[in-house]
Amino acid sequence: MSAPFLSPAEWQAVALSLRVATVATLASLPLGLAVAWVLARRRFPGHALLNGLVHLPLILPPVVTGYLLLLTFGRRGAVGEWLDGFGIVFAFRWTGAALAAAVMAFPLMVRAIRLSLEAVDPRLEQAAGTLGASPVRVFLTVTLPLILPGILAGAILAFAKAMGEFGATITFVASIPGETQTLPSAIYALLQVPGAEGRVARLVWIAVGLSMVALILSEALSRAVTRRVRGRR
Amino acid sequence: MRAPIRAIAAVCAALVLGGLRPVMAEPVRVFAAASLRTALDVVAADWTAAGNPSVSLTYAGSAALARQIIEGAPADVFLTASPEWMDAVEAAALLVPGTRRDLLGNTLVLVGQGAEGPAVTLDPSLDLAALLGDGRLAMGMVDSVPAGVYGREALSALGLWDEAEPRVAQAADVRAALALVAAGEVPYGIAYLSDARAAREAGEAVHVAATFPPGTYGPVTYPVALVRDTAGARAFLDTLASPGAAAVFAAQGFLMRP
Amino acid sequence: MTLRVDIAHAYPGLALEVAFDAPPGVTALFGPSGAGKTTVAHAVAGLLRPDRGLVRLGDTVLTDTARRLHVPPHRRRIGCVFQDARLFPHRTVRGNLAYGQRRADAAAFDRIVALLDLAPLLPRGIAGLSGGEAARVAIGRALLSDPRLLVMDEPLASLDASRRMEILPCLERLRDEAGTPILYVSHAVDEVARLATTLVMIDRGRVRRAGPAEALFADPALMPLFGPRGGALIAGTVAGHHPDGLTEVRAAGGTLWLPALAAAPGAAIRLRIPAQDVILARTRPEGLSALNVLAATVTGVLADDAGVTVALAAGGPTILARITARSAAALALTPGTACFAILKSVALAQGGPD
Repeated sequence: MSAPFLSPAEWQAVALSLRVATVATLASLPLGLAVAWVLARRRFPGHALLNGLVHLPLILPPVVTGYLLLLTFGRRGAVGEWLDGFGIVFAFRWTGAALAAAVMAFPLMVRAIRLSLEAVDPRLEQAAGTLGASPVRVFLTVTLPLILPGILAGAILAFAKAMGEFGATITFVASIPGETQTLPSAIYALLQVPGAEGRVARLVWIAVGLSMVALILSEALSRAVTRRVRGRR
Repeated sequence: MRAPIRAIAAVCAALVLGGLRPVMAEPVRVFAAASLRTALDVVAADWTAAGNPSVSLTYAGSAALARQIIEGAPADVFLTASPEWMDAVEAAALLVPGTRRDLLGNTLVLVGQGAEGPAVTLDPSLDLAALLGDGRLAMGMVDSVPAGVYGREALSALGLWDEAEPRVAQAADVRAALALVAAGEVPYGIAYLSDARAAREAGEAVHVAATFPPGTYGPVTYPVALVRDTAGARAFLDTLASPGAAAVFAAQGFLMRP
Repeated sequence: MTLRVDIAHAYPGLALEVAFDAPPGVTALFGPSGAGKTTVAHAVAGLLRPDRGLVRLGDTVLTDTARRLHVPPHRRRIGCVFQDARLFPHRTVRGNLAYGQRRADAAAFDRIVALLDLAPLLPRGIAGLSGGEAARVAIGRALLSDPRLLVMDEPLASLDASRRMEILPCLERLRDEAGTPILYVSHAVDEVARLATTLVMIDRGRVRRAGPAEALFADPALMPLFGPRGGALIAGTVAGHHPDGLTEVRAAGGTLWLPALAAAPGAAIRLRIPAQDVILARTRPEGLSALNVLAATVTGVLADDAGVTVALAAGGPTILARITARSAAALALTPGTACFAILKSVALAQGGPD
């Protein structure tokens, strides 16, 4: 009987990674959209500061970001302690892994959405206003459909980044099988053991495969949406 | 881990330049496990101050260092916390024969939050659940990081591993595990005595709550070997085993192996 | 419902200060590029807050800087048609048309679609529409939002001549059947001559003249502002169509012949007579190819740098003729002189019913 392709612990890591990345992406979409909108459409003192803050996870070493998350959202952290009162716990839970992944992926999502917002012709929104649409309705019925390709691109990018996130995750919520041992954590752990190259390779293939599937799906989806948005049917 | 291109380029440069510069002026390149940093920095500085060549120290995880040496990184001396990784380098025929020896040992301790705390008795009757409360036990990775491996071994020997396993938070390395304890995120962690001392010296709020009984784990071994046979490297290797160095290591919490 | 506009606004390079009233019908804001017409249109639509001023539609005050009142565009119920159609790319033609409808009103939808001949376009995406089709969809979309006023800012400017000809009848039908007052911004004399009930002439940020279109077109003093396409508008009735391709039109000054018109016998129409195509003679000419010879009396002679504009009374309405100074002197034209105005049939252009 041949050994299983992956051990149960490894499958668990794959499943956890998918769950963490999906939750991280979906949960950060509303905020990502809001921040991208504010950065694209509003000028205010502090605009550059907000922009810098959003991009911080791209520039800081991931371990530093993880440590900052620990200080803020850990059990003794400023926000973490408060949230604990509502029963929301990030420390050493998959929710923490999702938070770390979301924070690291956030700049990529915001950039993609902001770019597509800036590409929307403001005269179309103006025209919608003259047709009686309130600013909220204009956003929902004109702006949002037109930036949908950008939102999709941002979401896919964020998902891919979240799948690969390691440094901040392991610093913030450590590596706990079933809770926070994501695919990259599992790969890292295996790399510490001499002779585990074969198992590492299998996990890497899975990681690559998942990313490729995500990318191909997003390409197809993005093309379909773009066609519709450009008015070709 | 694959070695960076620049390591290979550095080797080529070293080979080219090797014939141009006098041997004694070259620094001795030491690859050492990260947990040795505090002590080894002192030993190396003392050695250089005594008129010897300078020492270039590279600290990283044992796995990373071993892989880099296997891929051709320019190391003269390899001092690691993991006998398995030294075996891997030896199997790649990269060690200078006859130079490998076990240099240091260490003691496994239970580290608690805060500068002071109650002592804990580590025996099979310990109620781990009560000790941890709703918190977790921070350790290095239990399959790979030596302190984590030994920690699991010790807890198993004490019959506490089944109780502990679901409560363990595995950090990337022992320093990260101690950081979790110091930050108050976990009530207890398992580390080497040398790590606990280094953390306290750095001002972190941790204390040694208990020492694991000898025989429940180990022995913890830090093998050292020559990767390149140079006069400077041999001299440094000898110094590592000298009484002066031994004092420095002992002060840091390491054990000396005869 | 009358639109009252009284605003002032400063741009680098233009200080705008206009006041006018727009009665029901088509009020054309006419003037050269850069005169400030679009600024006025945007202020009426609510897309611009003027530095100072008042915009009032009927009894509703839309903008009043004195009271710091500015109703935002989406609450004004003013439909806008822009020079670029600005159709929503993510919706079909039907989706675009229905966008502004408050309630799903199938009767109104069908009526506008028929008015603008949009039925074959409904299921299509907007990417393949021609300029003229897009313009009609944009007009339909604005109409279906049930506006109290329609503002059209050079809606035909980006279309070529044949497309424009295609759409002008639609706009005339709009004026006559849709019942919504229209503020029409344009620098094209042809469009304005054909569509305008009231004319507001704007130049360099000021109103030069405002009043009924027919009167302004017949004023020799305004000829330079209209340029070469200027000329009087006269009313007539279609008497009948002839088999050799001519339509007979009865006007106050006599019978006029022009190439076949798409109008039913008995229909009231407006004809435009380009001044530079009017030939004057002291005696009735014989043996000319021109079919239209009207007896007229000179009512005014106005000279300017480029020539002379002669105003003539042809049995009621005024006709303008543009001739050289030399000819004016040679014919000794002075007010009161009797003469004949000769008009080539093909020069007459149709205006719509008034």
